[in-house]
Amino acid sequence: MKPPPFRYEKPTSVEGLLATLAEQGDGAKILAGGQSLVPMMNLRLVYPEVLLDINGLSELDYLRLEDGMLRIGALTRHNTLRDSDLLAERCPLAAAAYRHVAHATIRNRGTLGGNLSHADPASEMPAVMLCLEASLVLRSNAGERSVAASDFFQGALTTALQSHELLTEIRIPLAAAGTGWSFQEVSPRKGDFALAAVAATLQVSNGLCQRVRIAHAGVEDRAARAGSAEAGIEGHAPGEELFAAAADEAARAVDPTESYHADGDHKRDLLRALIKRALSEAHGRCGA
Amino acid sequence: MATASSNGRIPIALKVNGVAYEREVEPRKLLSDFLREDLALTGTHVGCEHGVCGTCNVLLNGETARSCLIFAVQCDGAELRTIESLGTIDKMHPLQEAFWEKHGLQCGFCTPGMLLSAVELLEKNADPSREEIREAISSNFCRCTGYQNIVEAVEFAAKRMQEASQ
Amino acid sequence: MTELAQGKDFLKMSRQQEGPRETYSWIGKSMKRVEDPRLLTGQGRYIDDIQLPNMAHAAVLRSPHAHARIKSIDTAKAKALPGVILVMTGAEAAQVTGPTATFSSPPCIQYCLAVDKVRNVGEGVVAVVAESRYLAEDAIDLIDVDYEVLPAVVDPVEAITSSGDAVLHPERGDTNVALTNHSVFGPIEEDFQNADHIIRRKLRWSRVGGTPMETVGAIADYDSGTGKFTIYCNTSMYNYVGWLIAVSLNIPAHKLNIIPTIAGGSFGSKLFIHKLPTLTGTLSRACGRPVKFMEDRLDNLTNCDHHACDRIYDAELAVKDGRMTGLRFKVIDDYGAYFQFGVGHHGNAMSQAVGPYKISSIEMDLIAVLTNKCQQGAYRGFGSEVMNFLLERMADAAIDELGDDPVEFRRRNFIPPEEFPYVIPTGNLYDSGDYAAVLDEAARLLDYQGWRKKQAAAREEGRYVGIGIATCHERSVFSATEFWFLNPKDQPGFTLTSSPEGVAVKIDPTGKALVTLQAPFWGNSPETIATQVLAEQLTMDPADISINYSDTDSGLNGTGPGGSRYTVMIAGALAGASAKIKEKLLKVGGHMLEASPSDLELVDGRVCLKDVPEHGKTIAEVALHAHYFRLSMPDDPELTSGVDATYVYDHPLTTMPNEDRTDLGVFYPIMGHMCHMVVVEVDPETGKLAFLDYVAVHDCGTMVNPMTLQGHIRGGTASGIGTALYEHFFYDENGQLLNASFADYLIPGLHEVPDDLRTGHVETPSPFTEYGIKGGGEGGRMGAPPAIAGAVEDALRPLGVKVDELPISSKRLRALIREAQNS
Repeated sequence: MKPPPFRYEKPTSVEGLLATLAEQGDGAKILAGGQSLVPMMNLRLVYPEVLLDINGLSELDYLRLEDGMLRIGALTRHNTLRDSDLLAERCPLAAAAYRHVAHATIRNRGTLGGNLSHADPASEMPAVMLCLEASLVLRSNAGERSVAASDFFQGALTTALQSHELLTEIRIPLAAAGTGWSFQEVSPRKGDFALAAVAATLQVSNGLCQRVRIAHAGVEDRAARAGSAEAGIEGHAPGEELFAAAADEAARAVDPTESYHADGDHKRDLLRALIKRALSEAHGRCGA
Repeated sequence: MATASSNGRIPIALKVNGVAYEREVEPRKLLSDFLREDLALTGTHVGCEHGVCGTCNVLLNGETARSCLIFAVQCDGAELRTIESLGTIDKMHPLQEAFWEKHGLQCGFCTPGMLLSAVELLEKNADPSREEIREAISSNFCRCTGYQNIVEAVEFAAKRMQEASQ
Repeated sequence: MTELAQGKDFLKMSRQQEGPRETYSWIGKSMKRVEDPRLLTGQGRYIDDIQLPNMAHAAVLRSPHAHARIKSIDTAKAKALPGVILVMTGAEAAQVTGPTATFSSPPCIQYCLAVDKVRNVGEGVVAVVAESRYLAEDAIDLIDVDYEVLPAVVDPVEAITSSGDAVLHPERGDTNVALTNHSVFGPIEEDFQNADHIIRRKLRWSRVGGTPMETVGAIADYDSGTGKFTIYCNTSMYNYVGWLIAVSLNIPAHKLNIIPTIAGGSFGSKLFIHKLPTLTGTLSRACGRPVKFMEDRLDNLTNCDHHACDRIYDAELAVKDGRMTGLRFKVIDDYGAYFQFGVGHHGNAMSQAVGPYKISSIEMDLIAVLTNKCQQGAYRGFGSEVMNFLLERMADAAIDELGDDPVEFRRRNFIPPEEFPYVIPTGNLYDSGDYAAVLDEAARLLDYQGWRKKQAAAREEGRYVGIGIATCHERSVFSATEFWFLNPKDQPGFTLTSSPEGVAVKIDPTGKALVTLQAPFWGNSPETIATQVLAEQLTMDPADISINYSDTDSGLNGTGPGGSRYTVMIAGALAGASAKIKEKLLKVGGHMLEASPSDLELVDGRVCLKDVPEHGKTIAEVALHAHYFRLSMPDDPELTSGVDATYVYDHPLTTMPNEDRTDLGVFYPIMGHMCHMVVVEVDPETGKLAFLDYVAVHDCGTMVNPMTLQGHIRGGTASGIGTALYEHFFYDENGQLLNASFADYLIPGLHEVPDDLRTGHVETPSPFTEYGIKGGGEGGRMGAPPAIAGAVEDALRPLGVKVDELPISSKRLRALIREAQNS
């Protein structure tokens, strides 16, 4: 299990990287944390011609509160985020989800940008980004565009990123005061990718559920929102029965992928249980 | 920008266990193989080569990393520590002492990676809770011990190290 | 009554020299392991740490198909790649190297690389030797193989009726049935006729494996000048059956020297690794350079010949008056593509076929089948762990149907302490035991009654908490007859009966001891155990003892670890060698002290007068004298210079099976016992479970090192948890192994095992072994699966869920709950 040969380049600026990306096209792969790419290379599932190592681009490593949103540089390591007081305070859903992400050593290297760009269907962060309605900044030689998370994830290991583009920043709008949140997951072992994971937020105003957001990972070929379940709750008075009905609706609506670890029935069952729990917990966390 | 010589190898300079090395490496050479073959530091073991088991953990600039998921060429300018940087047989690191005392190893193959995960934890957090210890070393698989004695060894070492520093 | 008499008769055959004692100096102490300092500092020298000058590296092209004919292989592009030294196909290898060793009868032919046909995904097809492993793998990418795909045989039941192209080994007949055996022991018909209840259950034990953190590797160095092969390998039985590798290489046995390396775990999977040394030897001879081949994790998971039992049971248990009397079962075992150990695993299980219970009859109907999967090897339990699962599941089923109490039912059925030694219906002997004492200690440690109350309270709250109990055996100290006595009676194969363990002990002129073991370290504690036993024997300081391993050139007979035998066997060998050493020390000391050896004794490292202990000489003084002052002693031809001894200890008690195999003889009489009690909580919505408590009490006879024994119990239990809940080598209908990575083959991580697994011990010494020691290396894994299955079933009792199949993954458990809720 040794990787095939490749050319290695380590750009010293984002501009330099984008120039090289534009030249190389499909044969180039970005090397960030390498925690997904290198195993695939060792297994010889991918044969990149050239690896562009962005680990020197420290300008992509940041987390700051700016313009009412959290702005996270794509090269920010999972553990930096997991241990961040700012994230815990302003985006507790993401911080909670990080309790389920991999293991310490993997998180030391793995980056949020790399994780989202890789778009593993069973990874937690894509669901979190969908739930939080984050937008992703994609840059290329030609300029920069912002893509909503809901448009970014297009299938298993497939995103809106084009071969000449780099994901540079993740922008998470701050939740309104009083927003309740929850992250729930079942994985084969702790730290494994999810069999099913659910991120949920909601608000309660005038006794009615508002701005309900439910996203899941691990169930379908990509992380996705449970739109019909959200709609079933929106504008209704919160309660366990309502949440259970929404969970049933979500479980009915999904098109699960199957694997050795979980068949469709199991994924539906897990999704149902986790959505119910997530809504209940999120509701319990709603402020006045 | 790193430039390759005519044979495709790239010169790197790095420090491993306090010793400076300059080598030329093929870009695809995994750090685990570089340490074991080029530097003859065979204490770093290779368990799965796909990043799951933690056997090959080393400390890269103070943080654990799977050396099977890093190319040696990426370590230009880096400071690495491997199992060989801990204590010697005559003067063991308190963690090594504790693993010995608490029977925290059987076959010993996962032990170097396990110890380095524990070193990382105790360097960041001298007084970890049992749960923090469990989280820190859950990065590493062990097929022999059932983990409990390892957790107890890290707890024991932390206590001893704290006593020694007081 | 006759049984009882027979059992007691065996006591006369005991070769025990050292009975259990009240006090010991070193035995029974939790001495820190002598193996550890080098392992803790990264200086273990495992197989992959060895680099020979001019060494080249091999990689192997693996079959992508489960079953296919190899029509042609194009290696031209691979051979042309710079840095490639040799490309060798299976057919080319077979021209110089014969089949690998097999213990099956009739033989099932396997080569170190596939010839003509591949029989499982991952099977080696072509080997490449290159200047680096990287280049070798590049060359692998350039090889084109044209396959003609054959029907993949995956389902073991369907395998029974395979014919034609679906047959894996047509030379063994037009069938994939590798072997059948029908055995009856005791009055089975009578027991079933007299039963007041007959309990029926179908059970499925899925395929798992030892998967140690270190894979298998070998380095071969062929010396064309002398024709001698030197092969380094992390195999185990090299001093027992290592010479069979020479047979494969078509060379005389003395032209092969196997040098063992320590192994980074085995759990049975490295018991007798012969394919890799045979392959590397073949490659080294062909290219004239030392060649290393390390399995990578894919090689290991798909094709290490180490997958374990894969069984389907259809069983019936006869019960009369709350007592189990007869057990009969049909079992289909899926052996995979080859058959290296025959049905030794089932022979093994016959050693403890009635567990701790007074069951008077057993009937087994065994069908071993061949399928397109990695072949079976050995894994911690070697088949008896599955027998434990069967027995305990049947006992739990009986308890359930009879409405009996799980503790009292077991206690009522136990063989009582006064009936040992006890002959079971299969003919094997149980040496000693006190099963009720183990059960009581487990119940005390767990606070069993307290947990029953907590369980009731939890159930009131709608929580699903369950308590599982397993009272089962760990037979120890295997002997060889189990490998063949279930073979066809007219074709039993190589009917070996020896399973010895040797040792060499030398006292150097400074009085320090060097012990040479004949079998390697594989994660057990052979150096520590040998040190403790020798220190006890020679009243030495353990710090004055060092341990070494022989190669096959210098080796004595030694079977090595496996079947929980090593501690017992090395203690026997050391007792034998120490007797010779002591005799020599007393003889030389007698000359130095001008006393008769019969008036001397060895105390605290000194040879001294029995009555006047202050009058004596240290071992160092005596040893120096023995080594260098021959002429100061009388001209006695027996009195040669130096102090050294070798001793080969044979199995403490075995007898032959009878002709018609209604009595398998005594073959595994050193019987350990355990009680596991586990408390789990099931989340019915997700099928996940959590451990609330776990207690394991073991009886391994006299304990040599309680700390390392506890390590085995905890570690073995963790692997048993893997078997029960997580692990499964899963092949799809095309024979593709769907989870061939550590991301998908789920060995338990830290969070998957109990945070505090509490252990306890009862010591019932064996009357047959030195000091009364019994083995203890496998026990945890042999008790955990039935205990956990019982706990899950107990937790879900309100739903009536039955646990008949492993692993109890969240998928399976949720499916069972869903089914129960829908019905």
